[in-house]
Amino acid sequence: MSNGERRASGERDRALGGPTPPAETPSSAASGGDKGLKGGAIGFASSVVIGVASTAPGYSLAASLGFVVAAGVGLFSPAVLWVAFLPMLCIAFAYYYMNRQDPDCGTTFTWVTSAMGPSIGWIGGWAIIVADVIVMANLAQIAGLYSFLLVGIDAPSTIAVTCIGVIWIAIMTAICYIGIELSARTQIALLGAEILALAAFAVVALVRVYAGDYPDSIDPSLGWLNPLNIDSTTALINGVLIAVFIYWGWDSAVTVNEETEDPTEGPGRSAVVSTLILLAIYVIVAIAAQAVHGEEFLKQNKDDVLSALGLDVLGSPLDKILIIAVLTSAAASTQTTILPTARTSLSMGAVRALPKIFARVHPRYQTPDFSTLLMGGLSIVWYFGLTLISEDILGDSIAALGLMIAFYYGLTGFACAWFYRRELTTSVKSFFAVGVMPFLGGVTLTYVLIKSISELAEPGKRDVLGMGPPLAIAIFFAILGVVVMVLQRIADPEFFKRKPSVAEPGSLAPKTEAAS
Amino acid sequence: MNNEIIVGYDGTGCGHAALDLACDLAKGLGSKLVIAYGYQPYQGAGEIGTQREIMRDQGQAFVDEGVATATGCGVEAEGALIPQRPAAALASIAEERDARMIVVGTYGDSPIKGAILGSTPHKLVQIADVPVVVTPAAGA
Repeated sequence: MSNGERRASGERDRALGGPTPPAETPSSAASGGDKGLKGGAIGFASSVVIGVASTAPGYSLAASLGFVVAAGVGLFSPAVLWVAFLPMLCIAFAYYYMNRQDPDCGTTFTWVTSAMGPSIGWIGGWAIIVADVIVMANLAQIAGLYSFLLVGIDAPSTIAVTCIGVIWIAIMTAICYIGIELSARTQIALLGAEILALAAFAVVALVRVYAGDYPDSIDPSLGWLNPLNIDSTTALINGVLIAVFIYWGWDSAVTVNEETEDPTEGPGRSAVVSTLILLAIYVIVAIAAQAVHGEEFLKQNKDDVLSALGLDVLGSPLDKILIIAVLTSAAASTQTTILPTARTSLSMGAVRALPKIFARVHPRYQTPDFSTLLMGGLSIVWYFGLTLISEDILGDSIAALGLMIAFYYGLTGFACAWFYRRELTTSVKSFFAVGVMPFLGGVTLTYVLIKSISELAEPGKRDVLGMGPPLAIAIFFAILGVVVMVLQRIADPEFFKRKPSVAEPGSLAPKTEAAS
Repeated sequence: MNNEIIVGYDGTGCGHAALDLACDLAKGLGSKLVIAYGYQPYQGAGEIGTQREIMRDQGQAFVDEGVATATGCGVEAEGALIPQRPAAALASIAEERDARMIVVGTYGDSPIKGAILGSTPHKLVQIADVPVVVTPAAGA
């Protein structure tokens, strides 16, 4: 057999087993030749949809708005929501430029490894995996609860919610394992319905507030948007840490854009459009939600603000629209959280930062089967375990998630500035977009992280080992991560011998199609 | 028309069934076999870099294995690795090479299951412009 020779022929995406290469089909998706480049496979509307759907606005709001308010920011949660976006925007620059250099599915893991070395890169990858396992549990909790609300059962027992939640995780994992793909049109329809439901809620709520339908309503004020009105810096920071969670996934809009639009055009109109849509949804829905019954009501119903308000605002049976929107949002976000995470562990397995089996791809379903199933299994174990241990599972795990997201996003920001450090002086634009913005994002998130850790380290009401449960969760996973890393290093030291690298000269110059 | 038969081969029982039948057909018709594997990761959720590479390497191994099997049976064969979804890959290479037919295996999925899971034979019979031969996998 002489196929080995042909494989080394330099054809990256179209290796051929025969002596006569067939002509390129026009539909060939990999015509760019560069790994991961999709060559205009996705249109403008679809990439806007992916950007918004990745963040799952309905689910994010349902899961976190109450906790943002409960962080002590009072009526100024709309301000927190947009302030939290700023560090995310900075980090998006890091994603954009690191992805341009290496559009690998390992994202933070791959990029931090090449910029700062294997151990720290490994921990970054670990943070992504842990965050995914936790968010699956969280998603399952919301999905389980909303499943009951949909059929009209208002106060299901924790056991019942947990059982339905576990079934949800199983179904979502199966979907990702089998590789069921929603067509672009289905995604647009689902997201359209979700946005419409949220908009209907916000508009009806505001109209009824101004009409005086609620005795305890508060008229919205522009001051709600001003973060300087928040007296306590601690409250602002805690709020931001939770609100960071609602923008989680938004970065994939930026990286997908690189692959969908004219690469010379820069970060793309669709990233801008999806960002504006997201910001508008979050701020307007938050304003409407707290106007109806004030912020105390949101605090009391922080586990599920949207369903609590839905009935009051839209009335039955229209409130079901909102519940369906949150459910579809939770379901849609599986494709945008499980898939990229399974690909992170796949990427780690491929370079032997994790056992090789993580890199296995199912021959028929063409998905990273082992990675996907393990994530699902771990999420179920975690969800069950946490339900037994902690009475306030949702809040603790979201706050812990915030810590992890802040950690690995911040790390990515620093990695970008560091990786391109010798290219930053080539132009003013490079200096700010590749250096200052990612670095600022990293500094901000690190500050939020440290501040929040020191808060959580203070003894409180529901302590685990003398610290707040979210911190205990985060520390547990950090230690577990170091243990797993050391074990992997003993088992297979190859990956850990890698040396950090630096961007090649001229790598920030505008890319042309011909270069690939 | 070229006297070539395209075989969808993925190393599973399904692929073996298709390859066995295709070898028999090739002998009878004096055709050459093209052992084809189409691969493409789902693109809607961010970067796919390494997954694409792993799938390409894995696909190359399937193609090599299929070519070796066919050659071992005394049939002339070459491989083709196509970076597209399986059904689209088989249809496009058949059209490109003006092939005589496509042979694929099936797990025997019902139409509904096929529609949900995206059964390759189900899609292929609708988009291919050459005859498609579908054979059940052993035990299916």
